[in-house]
Amino acid sequence: MGDYWKILSNNFPDYLSGFLTTCQVVGASFLIAMAVGLIVGALRASPSKVLNRIGFVYVEFFRNIPLLVLIYLVYDGINQAGIISLDRFIAGAACLGLYTAAYVAEAIRSGVFAVGKGQFEAGLSLGFNEREVLTKIVLPQAIRTVIPPIGNLIIAMTKNSAILGGSLLAINDILLETRRIYNNNFKLYETFLWATIGYLILTITMTVVVRRLESRLAIRR
Amino acid sequence: MGGNQHGNQLVEVDGVGKSFGANEVLRDIDLTIGRGEAIVIAGPSGSGKSTLLRCINALETIDSGDIRFDGRSIAKAGKEIHKLRAEMGMVFQQFNLFPHKSVLQNITMGPIEVKDVAKGEADRRAKELLERVGIPEKADSFPADLSGGQQQRVAIARSLAMDPKLMLFDEPTSALDPEMIREVLDVMRDLARDGMTMIVVTHEMGFAREVCDRIVFIDEGAIVEEGPPKEFFENAQSERARDFVDKILHH
Repeated sequence: MGDYWKILSNNFPDYLSGFLTTCQVVGASFLIAMAVGLIVGALRASPSKVLNRIGFVYVEFFRNIPLLVLIYLVYDGINQAGIISLDRFIAGAACLGLYTAAYVAEAIRSGVFAVGKGQFEAGLSLGFNEREVLTKIVLPQAIRTVIPPIGNLIIAMTKNSAILGGSLLAINDILLETRRIYNNNFKLYETFLWATIGYLILTITMTVVVRRLESRLAIRR
Repeated sequence: MGGNQHGNQLVEVDGVGKSFGANEVLRDIDLTIGRGEAIVIAGPSGSGKSTLLRCINALETIDSGDIRFDGRSIAKAGKEIHKLRAEMGMVFQQFNLFPHKSVLQNITMGPIEVKDVAKGEADRRAKELLERVGIPEKADSFPADLSGGQQQRVAIARSLAMDPKLMLFDEPTSALDPEMIREVLDVMRDLARDGMTMIVVTHEMGFAREVCDRIVFIDEGAIVEEGPPKEFFENAQSERARDFVDKILHH
């Protein structure tokens, strides 16, 4: 056990800085994933064929290529073209956020369709117009229904963030810092245990938050 | 303005036809409903009675003819249709209460958001209406905590909160357990006695006989006959109506 504690205390600043970087990149990706996911989800649920198609293309594009390939395309591709030099952190957060947004959009779309036709008609019959029915009656219910699946997606996204540190982006996240520490001591288990715990702190916190939100906003049926 | 020149007729259905694909569900329907009148639309399942009701509330579009509500065309209302709908109440077979809102919020949402009624006034009115439908103690409950009969009474209160000129009931007791049907019908009977104009699609022939002014019998998308309930039950003119009465009364 002594080795474990020694490695943590000797490298604590590096572990902490990696952990904080992971928090930042996950936070930024989360905002992108939710904002873009809501918009694309609304497009997917829209009665307009054109808007629906745009949403469909987005979802299929980001769902059907591996995240790692996306990172190469975005970062290396843009830098090779020499138009702009993209910051590694921004490129990473954008890739992870846009990639996750495709899944968020599909969850939101299914949430909208899970709200029954009767709810729409009840809203109309009270004198609300179509837009008001969507924003005041259907979406508030849809969002409550999709909290658990979106929670799962965000937890998956947090774990996927390790790809940013492991890829050519080399963001100084918890995974990259841990690998550096390992390269100095060659003690695999002792070093990676603390990275594992770092990820667990994030994901378990998220699980708790999602559960709380779910029980506070849940619709009893 | 428009209302008065049409005198006592609140709803005028004029030559209405409606098809779902190749299936013709309404054929050349003519029907007028006077202010303060309560009518029951009866007929076998699939005869088009619910569709007719939904056309009056513009939840379905019509293919031919027109429906006028308080002198204004529903077919030609276009984007203004939600203003006409706000003047009609609709009660659904499946209640369709908003599950994420409390009973009180279900009732006040329409007045506050559509009619700009102040919240305090809307709350006060909602409590009055809950009193009227017999469940004042349920104001802070959620729909899922109520029985079917209680949910349907909240749905009626929700419609009444908009001060409608017309109440439409689409098989309001068909989804209820037998012991809860009475409590909903009682509320509807009181409404009719207070002079509310009502169109009720129902299989409850006891209610029809006791409460309504006129029965309209529909079969295969057309009005077969209409008349006072006593006349209809005891002396129906058409064979199809006699058949229907026979089945209902002797099952």
